[in-house]
Amino acid sequence: MTEKKKIIEAIPLLVPHSYLTTESNKTGSWRFLKPRYEEKTSPCSTACPAGEDIGRIEMLTTRGLFKEAWETILRENPFPGACGRVCYHPCEKTCNREEFDKAVAIHSIERFLADNAIRNNLNPLLERNPAREQKIAVIGAGPSGLAAAYFLTLLGYTCDVFEAMPEPGGILRWGIPLYRLPPSVLQNEIARIEDHGVRIHTGKQISQRFLEDTRNNYNAIFLGCGHSRAARLNIPGEDIDGVEDGLKFLLSIRQNKNPSSNGTVAVIGGGNTAVDVARSIVRLGGKALIIYRRRRQDMPAFEQDVRMALEEGVEIKELLTPAKIIYDNKELVLTLRQMKVVGEDIRGRALVEPDGKNPDEIRVERIFKAIGEETAEPWHSPPEEGEGILSMNNSVLAYRHRGPALVFGGDLTNQTKSVVHAVASGKEAAIALDIFFREGFDAIGPTLKTCMVGNGTSPLSMEIYMGGARRSRSPHIVTYEEINTDYFQLTAKVSQPRLLIEERLRTFEEVDLKISAHLATREAGRCFNCGLCIQCENCFIFCPDMAVIRDNSSQGRHINYDYCKGCGVCVVECPRNAMVLEEESYEESSGGKSGSS
Amino acid sequence: MKKVLEGSQAVAEAVRLAKVSVISAYPITPQTHIVEFLSEYCSDGRLSARFLRVESEHSALAALIGAASSGVRTFTATSSQGLALMHELLHWTSGARLPVVMVEVNRALAPGWNIWTDQTDSLAQRDTGWIQLYCENSQETLDTTLQAFRLAELVNLPVMVVLDAFYLSHTYEPVDVPEQELVDRFLPPYDPKFQVDTKDPCAFGSLVLPNAYMEMRHNIAMAMEEVLSQFPEIEEEFAGIFGRRYGSVEPIACDDAEIILITSGTVTSTSRQVIQDLRARGEKVGLLKVKLFRPFPSEMFRRILGPAKKVAVIDRNFSFGASGIFAQEVRAALCNLPSHPPIFGYIAGIGGRDVTTDILEDIYWQTKKNEVPGKESIWMGLQEVDHATESF
Amino acid sequence: MQLKVSEREYMYPGHVACPGCGAAIAMRLFMKVMGEKTIIVLPACCWSIIAGAYPQSTLQVPVIHSAFETGGAVASGVRAALDVKGDTETTVVTWAGDGGTFDIGFQALSGAVERNEDFIYVCYDNEAYMNTGIQRSSSTPYGAWTTTTPGREWKKMRKKNIVEALVAHRIPYAATANIAFPEDMMRKVQKAKEIKGARFLHIFASCPTGWRIPSEISVKIARMAVQTNIFPLYEVEGGVKYTINYTPKEYPVKEYFKLQGRFRHLIDSDLAQIQEMVNEDWELLLRKAGEHS
Repeated sequence: MTEKKKIIEAIPLLVPHSYLTTESNKTGSWRFLKPRYEEKTSPCSTACPAGEDIGRIEMLTTRGLFKEAWETILRENPFPGACGRVCYHPCEKTCNREEFDKAVAIHSIERFLADNAIRNNLNPLLERNPAREQKIAVIGAGPSGLAAAYFLTLLGYTCDVFEAMPEPGGILRWGIPLYRLPPSVLQNEIARIEDHGVRIHTGKQISQRFLEDTRNNYNAIFLGCGHSRAARLNIPGEDIDGVEDGLKFLLSIRQNKNPSSNGTVAVIGGGNTAVDVARSIVRLGGKALIIYRRRRQDMPAFEQDVRMALEEGVEIKELLTPAKIIYDNKELVLTLRQMKVVGEDIRGRALVEPDGKNPDEIRVERIFKAIGEETAEPWHSPPEEGEGILSMNNSVLAYRHRGPALVFGGDLTNQTKSVVHAVASGKEAAIALDIFFREGFDAIGPTLKTCMVGNGTSPLSMEIYMGGARRSRSPHIVTYEEINTDYFQLTAKVSQPRLLIEERLRTFEEVDLKISAHLATREAGRCFNCGLCIQCENCFIFCPDMAVIRDNSSQGRHINYDYCKGCGVCVVECPRNAMVLEEESYEESSGGKSGSS
Repeated sequence: MKKVLEGSQAVAEAVRLAKVSVISAYPITPQTHIVEFLSEYCSDGRLSARFLRVESEHSALAALIGAASSGVRTFTATSSQGLALMHELLHWTSGARLPVVMVEVNRALAPGWNIWTDQTDSLAQRDTGWIQLYCENSQETLDTTLQAFRLAELVNLPVMVVLDAFYLSHTYEPVDVPEQELVDRFLPPYDPKFQVDTKDPCAFGSLVLPNAYMEMRHNIAMAMEEVLSQFPEIEEEFAGIFGRRYGSVEPIACDDAEIILITSGTVTSTSRQVIQDLRARGEKVGLLKVKLFRPFPSEMFRRILGPAKKVAVIDRNFSFGASGIFAQEVRAALCNLPSHPPIFGYIAGIGGRDVTTDILEDIYWQTKKNEVPGKESIWMGLQEVDHATESF
Repeated sequence: MQLKVSEREYMYPGHVACPGCGAAIAMRLFMKVMGEKTIIVLPACCWSIIAGAYPQSTLQVPVIHSAFETGGAVASGVRAALDVKGDTETTVVTWAGDGGTFDIGFQALSGAVERNEDFIYVCYDNEAYMNTGIQRSSSTPYGAWTTTTPGREWKKMRKKNIVEALVAHRIPYAATANIAFPEDMMRKVQKAKEIKGARFLHIFASCPTGWRIPSEISVKIARMAVQTNIFPLYEVEGGVKYTINYTPKEYPVKEYFKLQGRFRHLIDSDLAQIQEMVNEDWELLLRKAGEHS
C-alpha cells in the first residue's frame, strides 16, 4: 500500500473528470425575455354582474373543495342557490370553452354548490372588516336590499332591513314561481344573511317621512323597494273584472291562495313576469297565450324560460298589441291589433308600428297584464343628475347635507331587472357607502374603479375591495386564442335533468333537478380556468433549466432568475395563460444585463 | 510448469493467470487463436471473465474503455486492420488513462491482403500514448503480458505487447507456465485509482478547454517517462520471483563492437545466430535487441551505441516519405551527441518475406563497406519487376 | 393533465443548453425516473457539451464520455464490468443523439442489441447533427433544410426508421416517446427500467436553434409532431407486439411544417406529398398493431 502511495505521489494523475457542478454558470444572464407568474381575468367573471370569481369556483369544485368553492361565491353573491336556478347566466355566453366544444354549465355547478351547502348544513367563513360605527337602514328585503345589507355587514356596518310584506325575499319570494325557486332554498339563504348579523323587520311599511327622520340615527338608507306597481295598458276595458295584474297573481299563488284556472288565459307582455304567469297558468290547469307586441326574440324574458314555456304548451302570439277589452257572455273579448316590424333599434330590438289590417279578436277567461312595473311611490325613484348625486353602474347615491345619504338600487336603478343585477346593486351600494364614510363623496368614483373585475365598465368585486388575493390579478381578459387547448379534450357538457313535461304540468315542483357531485365535479373540470393558476405544474415539468422551484408561497413555486434563460416554454405550456413573457429590462441593475432576480 | 504451447496459447495463459475480468475482442488472422483459447477458458471456467463478442475491433476497444472505466482488469488482442480500425480509440484509451492491456500481432496492412508479419501496423500507432513492448519468443510473450498488467496499472497507461505473426502466434515452443500462486504474488488484484461509482458520481472525459488540456497531456508525457524507470524495477521484481529478465533493450556483444545491428521481434533470434558466426570470423559486431519501444529508451541507446563506429538498423516496417521507423527513432536519440556513429537503415522482411541469415550478413557487409549510408533506407532482397509483364 | 412529478432533480441548473432545448427536458424527465443508480455513457452529441466542461458536471450520476460511434459498445463494457463486480442494481444507459445512433453509431448499437446487452439505449432525436452545426443525418425528416441540405438540395430521403431497424433484432423493448407527452414518456422509462436485456427509447426532442422556431414553442412543436402522425407514439415488445399509445384526431401535417423555419421552402405540392407519405406510414403502423384506420 505504501509503495503504491509513493508511486502515486511520484506520478499524480490528471484526468478529465468533474469535481464541480454547473451551478456557478448563472445562465440567467442570457435572458432577453423574462417569464412571470401573473393571473388574469376570465371573461365569465366580467360578464357576471356580481363579478363572481368563476374560474376559481370551478377550480375548487374540480378538486372536491365544495365548501371553499361555495365561499368563493358568497364573497361576491349571497344568493348562489337562487342564482344557480333563476339567473340568465350571461357568464356562459362569454365562456371561452364554447369555441372548443360547449360552454361550461356554470349555473348548474353554482346550484350544486349551494344545495350541497344546504344539505350539509355548512357555515361559511368569510372575511369581515372590523366593526364600524355607522348604521344603515335598508328599505325592502328583496335581493338588492338583502344583498346590500349582507355586504355592508361584511364591511363592518350594522344594518336594519325593513320589509312591508310578512316575509322577506321580495321578488324571490313573491314574484318567482316555486317551480323555479323552491322556498326552502330561499329560506336558507336569507337565514344565512341573518346569521351574519343583518336584522330583518317584516311587516314594516316605510313612509317617505322615514327618510327625513334623524331620530333613528341612520347614516345612510338603501332603497331596494323594487317596482311593485304594474304598468297600465291604457286601453278601454282595462279595469273590467277578470283583467288582473300579473305580478299580483303570482303573489297570490305564493300566499297559497291558489286560484284554479281552466280555460284560456291571455297574458299580455314579454318579460319574465309574463312568462312566469303563463307557466303558472299551465300548472293550474289552464291554457296560456302570451300576447307580445314585438317578435319572440325581442322578448326581454330569459331565453331558457321562454323555451320551457313553449315546451309546456304556452303559445306565444307575436306582433300583437291589445286595443280593447269587453266582457261578453262570461268571457272576455280581447281585441288585438297587428304590428309590423319597420326596423331595429341599436340593441337589435324590433321597431314596430301598427299594420293597418283589421284587428283580431280572441275570447279568453282571464287577462293578465305583465307589461312592466313601476315604482309604487314616487319617492322610490332615484333622482336625476345634480349636485351630490352619483350615478354608478347599478345604483345611485344621493348625498345630502342634512340627513342620511340615500342609495337607490335594484330594479329602481338597473336597466336589466334580474336577481344578479340586484346583487350587483347591493354590492355597489355597500362599497360606495364604505368609501363615502371613510374618504368622502369625491373618492367614491375613483375608488370604485380600483375594485373592478377586468377592465372597462366591469362588475365590482368585494374580494378585491377588501384587499383579497384577487386584487393582484391582471385586468387583461383572457381570450380563447390565449388558451393552450392541447391540454383539453372534447368532453360533453353535463345535461341537467328536468321533470318530464307531463310531470311539470301537474305540479309547481322544481323543474330542474339536481346533479350529483360526480357530475358537478366533472363539469367543473371542463372549465379552462382562464387566467388562473390551478397548480398543474406544467411550468415545473417542462423547464429545461430547473429554474422553476417549488416552495411554500401561495403561488406554489417561483422562478429562479439566476438560471432562467427566458425560453418561454413555461408561458406557452401554461394552458390557462396564467403567466406572461415580457422583455427583460436592462436598466434594473447597474450597468450590463440584469441576471439575478 | 514447462509445456509446449502455441504462442497464442502462451498469451491466453498469461491472461488467465492475470485473472482478467473483461475481455473484448474481434477475430482477425493471425490473432484468432488467442481469442479462441480465451473463449474456451471462459467457457470451461478456467477463466471467470466476461467475454464480449463484439462486432468490430473498434467496438472491442470501446467496450474495454467502458469496462476499465468501471474499475476492472481488461484485455484485448488484435492485428493489422483491426488495430488500424481502433486507432481513434487507442488515443482515447491513453487519454483516459485506462490500464488496458492488448496483445498486438504484427501483420501487414492491406491492400493487398497480407496476413504475414510486418511491423508497420503497431509502429504506425506509436503516437497514441500506448506503451509498446516487442517480444522475441513465446516465453517472453507470456512473461511480458503478465508484466504489462502490472505496468499499466501502475502508471495508468495502456500497454501493447507485440508479437510477430505466425512465427510467434502459431509456432509451438516450450514455455514455462508459472503457478497461479507465484503470479498472485507478482500481480495483485486490480485496485483502480478511479472508476465510475454511483455513490461518488463524477463525469469522465468531458470537454476540456485549452486552459487545462495541455497539462493533462503533459501528465501523460510524464507518466510515459516514469515507465523508463518503473519497467526495469518491475522486471527486477519479476526476475526475483520467476528468475527471468529481458531488459528494455538487450545488448549482445556490444561492448567492443564496431558495428552494431539493431533488431526487434523474431528477427532478433536469427540475428543472434548471425552475430555468433561473424564473431567467430573475427568481426567486431554486436546486436542490440529493442524490447521497449514506447517510451523510447533514448538514454540507453546513446550509452550503448555512442562508442560504436557504425549502427545498422533493421526495420521490418516503413514510414512512407521518411524511413524505417526504428531507424528514425535511433537517429533522433543520437542526433544531439557531440559525435555519434552514422546510422544505416535497412528495410527487410516486409509483408512476411523471410529475413534470412544471408540477408542479415549482407546487411553487415554492406554496412562495413560504406563509410556513410548511401541512401536513407536500403531495401533488402528487392526483386526486379518487369512492369510491362508485371513479372517479378 | 395533473402529472405528479417528483421534486428531486438529477441535473444541476447552469448548463449551457440552448433556451428551450428539448434534449435538456428529455434528460431531466428521464433521470427523474431512473434515479441515482444509473451510469450514463455519453457519446459525442449536444449533450457532451450540455453535460458540462471540465471540471463541471451537470448530472448527478456518473458519466463516461465516449467517442461518437461507441455508444453501444462502451455500454456493453460497463455492463460486463458491473456484472463481474456483482452489481445488480445499477442500470447502464447510453444517451446519444441521432447522429450517434442512426449513422456513425449504428454498428455499435446493432451489435449491442443483437447480443441483447443488458442496458437502456436512449436516442434523443433532434433530427440533425446539431452539435456540429445542424448538418443532415439519416434521421433528418423528408423536406428539411440543414446546412448540408441547403436550398434546392433539401433532404429528399425519408427519415430512417430506427425503431423498425431494432425491432428486426427482436429487441425486448423499443418505444418512441416525446417530451410533450411527459406522462407517457416517464411510464415508458419506468417500464424499460424494469426489463432486462436491450431496451431502446427513441425520444423526440425539439431543437429551437436547428429547426428555426422560437424557443417558447419548443414543447408545442414536439406535441404537434405526434398530433400530425409524423412521430407516432408506440411501443414494440419482443420485436413482435406493437401497441400504439396515442391516436390523434385529424391534424394536417402542414400545420406542423408552417411553424418551422427549416421547412419554409416547401410548397403546397411538397406538403401534399408529405401528407401522403405520413398517411402511408401511419397505415403501415396500424396494420402492425393489428388495428385498422
